Amino acid sequence: MTELTKEARLLQTFAALADTLVDGYDVVDLLQLLVDSCAELLDTTAAAILLADGRGELDVVASTSEASHLVEVIQLSAEAGPCVECYRTGEVVQVPDIALSPPEWFRFRDRAIELGFASVHALPMRLRDNTIGTLNLLRDRTGTLEEEDRIAARAFADVATIGILHERSVRETTVLAEQLQGALSSRVVIEQAKGVVAYMNGVGIEEAFDLIRQYARSHQLGISKVAAGIVDRTLRLGG
Amino acid sequence: MASSFGAAMEALDRSSGSPEGFCRPFLDLFPVTGAAVSTVGNVLGSETLSASDEIAARLDELQFDLGEGPCWDAMRSGSPVLEPDLRGAAPRWPAFAAATREDGLRSIFAFPLAVGPLRIGAVDLYSLRAVELNRTQIRQADAMAGVVGRHVLRHALSAVGRELDDTGNAFSRRVVHQATGMVLAQLDLSPDDARLVIQGHAFATERTMMEVAQDIIDGRLRFSKQRDAIEATE
Repeated sequence: MTELTKEARLLQTFAALADTLVDGYDVVDLLQLLVDSCAELLDTTAAAILLADGRGELDVVASTSEASHLVEVIQLSAEAGPCVECYRTGEVVQVPDIALSPPEWFRFRDRAIELGFASVHALPMRLRDNTIGTLNLLRDRTGTLEEEDRIAARAFADVATIGILHERSVRETTVLAEQLQGALSSRVVIEQAKGVVAYMNGVGIEEAFDLIRQYARSHQLGISKVAAGIVDRTLRLGG
Repeated sequence: MASSFGAAMEALDRSSGSPEGFCRPFLDLFPVTGAAVSTVGNVLGSETLSASDEIAARLDELQFDLGEGPCWDAMRSGSPVLEPDLRGAAPRWPAFAAATREDGLRSIFAFPLAVGPLRIGAVDLYSLRAVELNRTQIRQADAMAGVVGRHVLRHALSAVGRELDDTGNAFSRRVVHQATGMVLAQLDLSPDDARLVIQGHAFATERTMMEVAQDIIDGRLRFSKQRDAIEATE
């Protein structure tokens, strides 16, 4: 792929992201589009976004694969690993070789290596002094990200942050907490909806998520909205 | 009639944390002398949580001691047990009937305390006069016992308050949410009740919610509604 093409595709992606930032947009949709764009356009194998809940615990709200092992490794890193380090310091954490990470990260290290991940790049989602979560890029090779990918990733993380914080209410910490909580609660409902669809349609959890996304796309509805309909049983996916 | 049933359900909802409030709504709504709410069996042990009078308390104690009686049958069958006239022909519970003859007991009705597949006890309603409950009253008492059952189980789980609940990490919580979705679809419950079923099942089988949730997702454990009762298949 030539540099120009990639640049053009990055621009396209930002245009698409800007399109989603309309009134009443679905934060989970936006974050999903972001992680998918990271995996597609940047030199990375997998991407995930973690948000802090009211108690400062980090939770996965979007990931490129719903495969439980990716979610699990990110979550381990949110307990002791680059993700939580990045969240605490508000700084980028680069781990060019996971095998060489500090001993106290051993659970993350061992599981990540077992799953074929070799390096990680964690970026804070921060607005001034508020770090609300992290964008995490995992790669199956050692080394650091190229500078142009680092810049693009920074821009993705900023868009995600803005997307969550809507522009006007950033100064109000209670509103901030509510918006974060809102994004995390929609995640709970999405997980429940995956269970409902998995059972009703006789498919696996991962496939259930794909069905929900497809339905949301083809009906131009937010994922969270579709999930809520599935859980309160007013919406039933065909199949 | 419908509105007094609504009021009774609301009263039960308000009494969530305090078992003393469990009996009153039954007495307000049904033509009986007294009521008692007890846990019975293996899950939470046998204990009277609330009784409207001494006879009601004694009737439950007797059933614990004798190991027979309407509250045992209601708990085991998961369905209402109705005995409008204890002095009728062949007594279903000979020892219980004999032991209560002097109390002048005539009618007794028991409704199961159950949450999903977990049967944890019963509400006993007794009368010194022979009375019958019509179909609506039976349905209402059964629904009220269902509310009491959820309160009792929630309360018992929070009393033992341990790793069963939220202490898992975010990853395991995610699995529990997915399993909650499967159970609410299997049993047609609200998310809260579906979660309580998982929690209660974890408690009864001495496992973590995460383990139970994983079994549900992998299809090793499924709940199904069979007629009125809810069953677990492993």
